[in-house]
Amino acid sequence: MTPIKTLLVIFSPLFFLLVACRGASARPRPLATSSSSGIIRLSIIPTFGSKNILIADSSFQTGDSHNVQIDVLKFYVSHIQFLKNGTVVLEEQKSFHLIDAAIKASFDIVIPNKHAISFDAVRFNLGIDSTTSVSGAMGGDLDPTKGMYWTWQSGYVNFKCEGKSNLCKARNNEFQFHLGGYRQPYYCLQTLTLPVHNPNEITLQFNAETFLSHSDVGTHHHVMSPNAEAVRLSAIVANSFSMVKSSTAK
Amino acid sequence: MKTKIILCVALCIFAVAFRSADGERFEAPAHWQKPVYDFRKNPLTSNTIALGRALFYDPILSRNNTISCASCHSQYSAFTHGDHALSHGIDDRIGTRNAPALMNLAWQRSFMRDGAINHLDMQALAPISNPAEMDENITHVVAKLQATKTYPKLFYKAFGDSVISGAHTLKAIAQFMLTLVSSNAKYDSVMRKQAVFSQQERKGYLLFQKHCSACHTEPLFTNHAFMNNGLPVDTTLRDMGRFSVTMNADDSLKFSVPTLRNIEFSYPYMHDGRFKRLSDVLHHYTAGVVQSSTLAKELKKPIVLTSNEKVDIIAFLLTLTDRTFLFSPAFSFPQNMIEEAAKD
Repeated sequence: MTPIKTLLVIFSPLFFLLVACRGASARPRPLATSSSSGIIRLSIIPTFGSKNILIADSSFQTGDSHNVQIDVLKFYVSHIQFLKNGTVVLEEQKSFHLIDAAIKASFDIVIPNKHAISFDAVRFNLGIDSTTSVSGAMGGDLDPTKGMYWTWQSGYVNFKCEGKSNLCKARNNEFQFHLGGYRQPYYCLQTLTLPVHNPNEITLQFNAETFLSHSDVGTHHHVMSPNAEAVRLSAIVANSFSMVKSSTAK
Repeated sequence: MKTKIILCVALCIFAVAFRSADGERFEAPAHWQKPVYDFRKNPLTSNTIALGRALFYDPILSRNNTISCASCHSQYSAFTHGDHALSHGIDDRIGTRNAPALMNLAWQRSFMRDGAINHLDMQALAPISNPAEMDENITHVVAKLQATKTYPKLFYKAFGDSVISGAHTLKAIAQFMLTLVSSNAKYDSVMRKQAVFSQQERKGYLLFQKHCSACHTEPLFTNHAFMNNGLPVDTTLRDMGRFSVTMNADDSLKFSVPTLRNIEFSYPYMHDGRFKRLSDVLHHYTAGVVQSSTLAKELKKPIVLTSNEKVDIIAFLLTLTDRTFLFSPAFSFPQNMIEEAAKD
């Protein structure tokens, strides 16, 4: 073997290994596209009743006398899986998404499905699991600069909703829900499984009106720490999600 | 033959390159248990440690750029706030707890006196956001760092990315803190059979093993548990310790057992810094323990020590002073590095 060949034999695999490793950590998330080939497009739309929530213009009226303003609405969707007859057939890797009602682009999640695997349900976590919560600093949607990590108590805040309601008896009629908690007995993570009607375009909605009406915002207006109330409200948040049967809601 | 030489040279070049790319290796002292920190998720590199050191000493982390980590964790006092029962942070605001000494953090699973922080990476977020400490938020810190001339360069050197993130900021600070290993006290030399205890130190060591080591377990001199050591509640602070994290009554008045390494320099003592001298601490354990339902079982029966025995124990505790740690240039204010980075 010539010296040059020897060097090539030694360094080529090492070079590719280094490049491959670097590529894996720096690979950007795929951009959302409308193409249905080889991908699943999952949209999660924050709504108040039948209206979409846009933080810049988010005043709503319900009934004759309940006025609500939503100033912040952010939540984590993680560990997305697809099921067929109750069995997981596909799952997204590194599956952590922050849905922010102020950032429309955050509503759309695109998941590769190279082998066009068929499925009839989608499952995901609302929030961040306890193992991830104790795994140190992470980037992307889990970066602490996203304002969804409270180091002192809850770890990741799974769900954050702030605003005003004229029913709310707190100062300035303000409510603040920062629901999180990664330790038992106040582990707030919720797992949702919803049937899928149209695998090409899955649209879910989170209905803030359902959440606020069931959580009794008039008397329960501030929950920040991991506690029994945070667990109770987290279940109400989970029950405020539903599958949109057609894409008209968008 | 020629091929063999080239092979050897090539492997040597790769070994050097690998070390350079992979950077520092964390060397756990011989006979210590394996660190709990997962270095695979935050591999040490010399550039990242240097960045973390710069951040540790930089008051840019605080709202008005006056308070750094080192403000309350000074090297010369074993990285605690020497001579301060409760630390003063931004605008001279006083906190509610004594700043813990920082060392051997790679072996620690949770942080703060009540263990509220679950990972070393995330620890710095607490003082950054505490209104009595730095009164800042990590998002604004990142924006401030990005706007400097120096830090984008340092982050590029550390992470290959000059766009600063919260995760990179925290990982860098964690890397510096991980390097704060204290394992070169006289005690360590004795254990390595490179030195011997004096007669008094030896007596103190035997008393320590009998009365103290169940909680202050060698070689880290902590069992990393949360325990109630029988301190009367300070009614001005009403600090319930671990209970405030778990809301479990069984955790009431429990605090993390601190390491005793470098205890000579880390005064005052206890979670609220109520004791100024080691003799005060020993007096508490022999005459001041308050019985309660959550009191550590090791303290249910009083510890009986003569005055001479207390002095012997203190003589032993002074053998835990590690001057190479307390005065290591590698842990001090990084004046040269900041000046060099500014010139680049």
